[in-house]
Amino acid sequence: MRAGGGYRNRAAMNAPEEQESISGKAYDLKLALRLWRFLRPHRKVFFLSLLLLPVHQGFNLAQPLLLKIGIDAVSVGDGLTLMTTGLLFAGALAAEAAAYFFQYYLSMKVAQRCLADLRVEIFSHVQRLPMSYFDRNPVGRLMTRMTTDVEVLQEMFAAGAMNLVADLVLIAAIVAIMMSLHVEMALVSLALIPFLLLGINVFRLKARQTYRLIRTRIARVNAYLGEAIPGMAVIQLFNRQARSFEEFDDLNRAHRDAIKRSNIYEASLFSMVEAAGSLSIALLLWYGGGEVLQGVVGIGTFVAFSEYIRRLFVPLRDFSNKYAVIQAAMTAAERIFELLDTAPEKSGRDAEPVAGTVPTAVSASAQESGVAPATGAPATQAADGAPTDANPASTAAANAASTVIPGTAPPASVETTDAVRAAVEFDNVWFSYRPNDPVLKGVSFRIEPGERVAVIGATGSGKTTTIKLMGRFYDVDSGAVRVGGRDVREWELDALRRHMGTVLQDVFLFSGDILSNLKLGNESIPEERVRAAVRSANAEGFIRRMPGGLRAAVRERGNNLSAGQRQLLALVRMFVLDPEILVLDEATSSVDTETEFLVQGAFEKIMANRTCLVIAHRLSTIRNADRILVFHRGVIREMGSHAELMEKGGVYYRLHQLQFQGEGSGGEARGVAADR
Amino acid sequence: MTGIGRLIDYLWRYWRRYLVGGVCLIGTTSLLMVVPWWVRGAIDVIERGDPDSELGGYVLLIALAAAGGGLLRGVARSIIFNAGRNVEYDLRNDLFAHLEKLPLGYYQAQKTGDLMSRAVNDINAVRMLLGPGFLNLVNTPLYLVYAAVFMFAMNWQLTLAVGACLTLLALVFKQFRGRIRRASLRVQRQMSRMSAHVQENLSGMHVVKAYVQAEPQTAGFTGMNDEYQVRSLDLARCRGMINPVMVALHGLTVLVVLWYGGWLIMREQSGVADLVAFILYLNVLAWPMAAFGWMLSLLERGRAAMDRLEEIFEVEPAIADPEHPVPLRDKERGIEFDRVSFGYNGDAVLKDVSFEVPPGRKVAIVGRTGAGKSTLTHLIPRLHDVTSGTIRMGGVDVRSLSLEDLRGAIGYAPQDPFLFSTSIQDNLKFGDAHASEQEVRRVLDVADLESEVEVFPDGLDTRVGERGITLSGGQKQRATLARAILANPDYLILDDCLSSVDAHTEQRILDSFESVLKGKTCIIISHRMAVIQQADEILVLDDGRIVERGDHESLLRAGGLYARMYRRQQMSDELEEL
Repeated sequence: MRAGGGYRNRAAMNAPEEQESISGKAYDLKLALRLWRFLRPHRKVFFLSLLLLPVHQGFNLAQPLLLKIGIDAVSVGDGLTLMTTGLLFAGALAAEAAAYFFQYYLSMKVAQRCLADLRVEIFSHVQRLPMSYFDRNPVGRLMTRMTTDVEVLQEMFAAGAMNLVADLVLIAAIVAIMMSLHVEMALVSLALIPFLLLGINVFRLKARQTYRLIRTRIARVNAYLGEAIPGMAVIQLFNRQARSFEEFDDLNRAHRDAIKRSNIYEASLFSMVEAAGSLSIALLLWYGGGEVLQGVVGIGTFVAFSEYIRRLFVPLRDFSNKYAVIQAAMTAAERIFELLDTAPEKSGRDAEPVAGTVPTAVSASAQESGVAPATGAPATQAADGAPTDANPASTAAANAASTVIPGTAPPASVETTDAVRAAVEFDNVWFSYRPNDPVLKGVSFRIEPGERVAVIGATGSGKTTTIKLMGRFYDVDSGAVRVGGRDVREWELDALRRHMGTVLQDVFLFSGDILSNLKLGNESIPEERVRAAVRSANAEGFIRRMPGGLRAAVRERGNNLSAGQRQLLALVRMFVLDPEILVLDEATSSVDTETEFLVQGAFEKIMANRTCLVIAHRLSTIRNADRILVFHRGVIREMGSHAELMEKGGVYYRLHQLQFQGEGSGGEARGVAADR
Repeated sequence: MTGIGRLIDYLWRYWRRYLVGGVCLIGTTSLLMVVPWWVRGAIDVIERGDPDSELGGYVLLIALAAAGGGLLRGVARSIIFNAGRNVEYDLRNDLFAHLEKLPLGYYQAQKTGDLMSRAVNDINAVRMLLGPGFLNLVNTPLYLVYAAVFMFAMNWQLTLAVGACLTLLALVFKQFRGRIRRASLRVQRQMSRMSAHVQENLSGMHVVKAYVQAEPQTAGFTGMNDEYQVRSLDLARCRGMINPVMVALHGLTVLVVLWYGGWLIMREQSGVADLVAFILYLNVLAWPMAAFGWMLSLLERGRAAMDRLEEIFEVEPAIADPEHPVPLRDKERGIEFDRVSFGYNGDAVLKDVSFEVPPGRKVAIVGRTGAGKSTLTHLIPRLHDVTSGTIRMGGVDVRSLSLEDLRGAIGYAPQDPFLFSTSIQDNLKFGDAHASEQEVRRVLDVADLESEVEVFPDGLDTRVGERGITLSGGQKQRATLARAILANPDYLILDDCLSSVDAHTEQRILDSFESVLKGKTCIIISHRMAVIQQADEILVLDDGRIVERGDHESLLRAGGLYARMYRRQQMSDELEEL
């Protein structure tokens, strides 16, 4: 069997179904506790809104009582009491409305804040997940976690599902009031409740099963759509429209049928509650009529009872719905937490202390790490005696700026820079993306400070992997990668990557404008510096031709620019960032004739006097390198300067001869990708 | 057509159900509304101190009305909600069928995330409009009319007083309707923006990491998220106000009845029984009034959603069957490009391209990325239509053929190996569901996949995961190749479909490919010289034009772009040969 024929990930196989796990009650409790962590910072508002709930309900429950007093007053012709109870009623109404509004608004405020926090937490967590995670999880699935699942949680707040406990209190309060008004009449009007509860229970159980069914089935419908939309060209090419439609129809129908069943349960529940409401009134009349006749209670009491009965049945009826919303929310929470529990990229920060081995580098990385990983940023700042900035982001930005803008950099950074310029070293590195399928097999080399090294090799020979390991996008299986004399695993990740500038073949631009793509989030970079970089990269003419110049809009992924223009921008970026180590995947094919010349010149300029690793496709680039590494199937076949390798008469020599057949004196080859 | 217009068409399909449901609804409402009337009668009896028997009659009537009303309510709700579900089902199916007709150009212009959001969230909103929205839309006026009639019959002065309060309802409706719509629209838009940011961030994760962009990216997201929060709270404030206002409005009517009714009773112009019946009627109105705000937002959201869906339905499929398709008779003729130009919104991608692939011959196309190679191959199965010029297949303009004939005759292996999350077998049989196992085995063998499939946990039935995520890049490409040749098409288009496959495997595939290709008309895009050299003719495409053409030897001798590319390429081929 060919290496690489292995099977990547069995667990991912059933992923599209995303079966909901049927979670037990204890588990739900655990989830609720984790959700509480997001609620905690807003607990004051949360409790305030909870406190308003009984206020709102209290004023609401006072109204039937006032009504009773009013009506009874009418019966005896007491105009004054009618007047005052009416005023009190109006007051209760106003107070109820106010409490109702604030209660709803505050609870929504809590909900929105919690979910906003949750979204940011998910987002920033995802930023720190290792690349291997993104290899395994398609974008669509992550999108669902970050949008749909959070929306489901929001629904839980919006549906008032959080008030489930308050509902129970409400029910108890209503029963208590009715009892206090007239015990026997209360018992009579509540006589139907046991039957009702029984019915609700039966239907609730059935409805619950269908809810779960509905959720899985709609998930399948949407998953199918999520696949069919990007794959529509394939469907059309293979004339599959009719069959795909049938498949979709099957899923769609299964969903509809499940829902129809649940609709019938819900309708039954609803009609039962409504019938019970009228029946209770009949019972009241039947029993209460006698009491009224005997003058024991007034008509007002009867009215109050009918009002309380209505208020009693609504929460009973809605219980199953709220329960379903909570169930869905718990499932969503479970999936969100699963994502949050995925271990982030390991950063050297976690593996402290290593200080002492390369002190300068440590201090540099520490200085720059006012940044993301929550683990030890404050401690770091304290250790450095750096002023604690209230806004970590701006600190990070400022620090970043200090390392990339020469002249303004603090002395510590200058030392750092020297240390970093020291070397890149691969020491017997083995690496595989999948078990038993090594991509690098014992690779060792060293790039001296300021040295330019060209890497050549075929598809799958390990060139790109080498780049990825330098920035620690993946961890080696064995051996070590060292930058500035330090194992990359001891580096604080962000610091490590800030020392490297990478230009890949397929340049990814963010939507926004050209300027923001060149500054890359570091707003402290002055525009003049960007303009200087544009000049250095020979990109002035290109920028001038763009509508709006530096402010010209860049669309999603930069797809309003040609591949060549994107390349050029990526190079300008390098001039702006001015990294100590440059990693280039030289453009081969993607550049159109017009920009190729510009790009070529810029390439030469940016590489001068810098530690460089270039995946080279152009002969001139290769020959101008100080050293050449020839990769083949995960090992370095040959290593040495152009002259040395030519003398050796090995692989490189043969390649070189081939390249030169018929080609003029070093005339630059332009052409098709040697490598993708 | 407006979104609502289309929706009415759908509702019309199920008019019988809606009629039956509506009748049941009227029935249940009648039974519900007659209850307070009888309660009034019963209280009258009690007030007069009449014998028990008459009271018993009223009690029995009310109990019967309750039971009957409850039953009808259940039937009405089931029928109406389920009819709504039928509409939802139809709508979703029709949307899918419509999406299947839209050409590649549409999908390139739209963001997948946006289409998904419409197909999922907006249909959801329409469903809410059709179910609870529709029911309440019918129910609430029905309640109001019934209540008005009964109340008027009891006491017109009191009814007018209550009516005066309820005119405020119209005011509230007018006040909030626009605000809710605008607020929800703003929320929906911000949601879209956020999704787009997340999508971009996730697709560019390697860059985010390489340039240490987690901070600014998170900051950007936080900004959008904050704005979303602000907008959501705007909406919450709007919706939060409507409910208390409605509750207060309802309470106000009760207060009016109590005060004015009480005053009337004390002046003996009315009885206590009337007062009670009034309050009971208002009691019935309490729920629809409390749910008014909710209903309003359902309607507004549903309407907006339907408009968003209509934007998709409105798109005419730009590429469709001709009215009188010509049959594909002469497969003995090859593929012809006759002065073909093509461009996306003004940018010319192909310029005046002419060439011919004689039947049974192979033409290779080479050129740099962005030269227009893939676009050229898209034009043949009409994923796009030419801007000018003509493409003929079997001597017929491809636009005169039925799409099914045209595409059925072509085996296409695209550059981007898109697989579906079904089993490996289903993926291979994508173009030919009835292919025998033997045929599947054959193409597996050609694509050099057989030994690998054998070790998959479930062999051919192994599911490949979303977009084939469980397979390696090379495996995916070979699977798409196998898929293309399974139906044994007369024309074959291979768009650089083996770029991730290593040279040795590719060689094995090419060796077994000879027999597959025999007699087929082929267009092959590749960057591997071993493949290109075997072609009968090589076209060199640069910046949308054919700049060189000929066989390998003559092109090499000419010493142009091809020769330069060849030498460059040879290096990497040589490396692989090591």
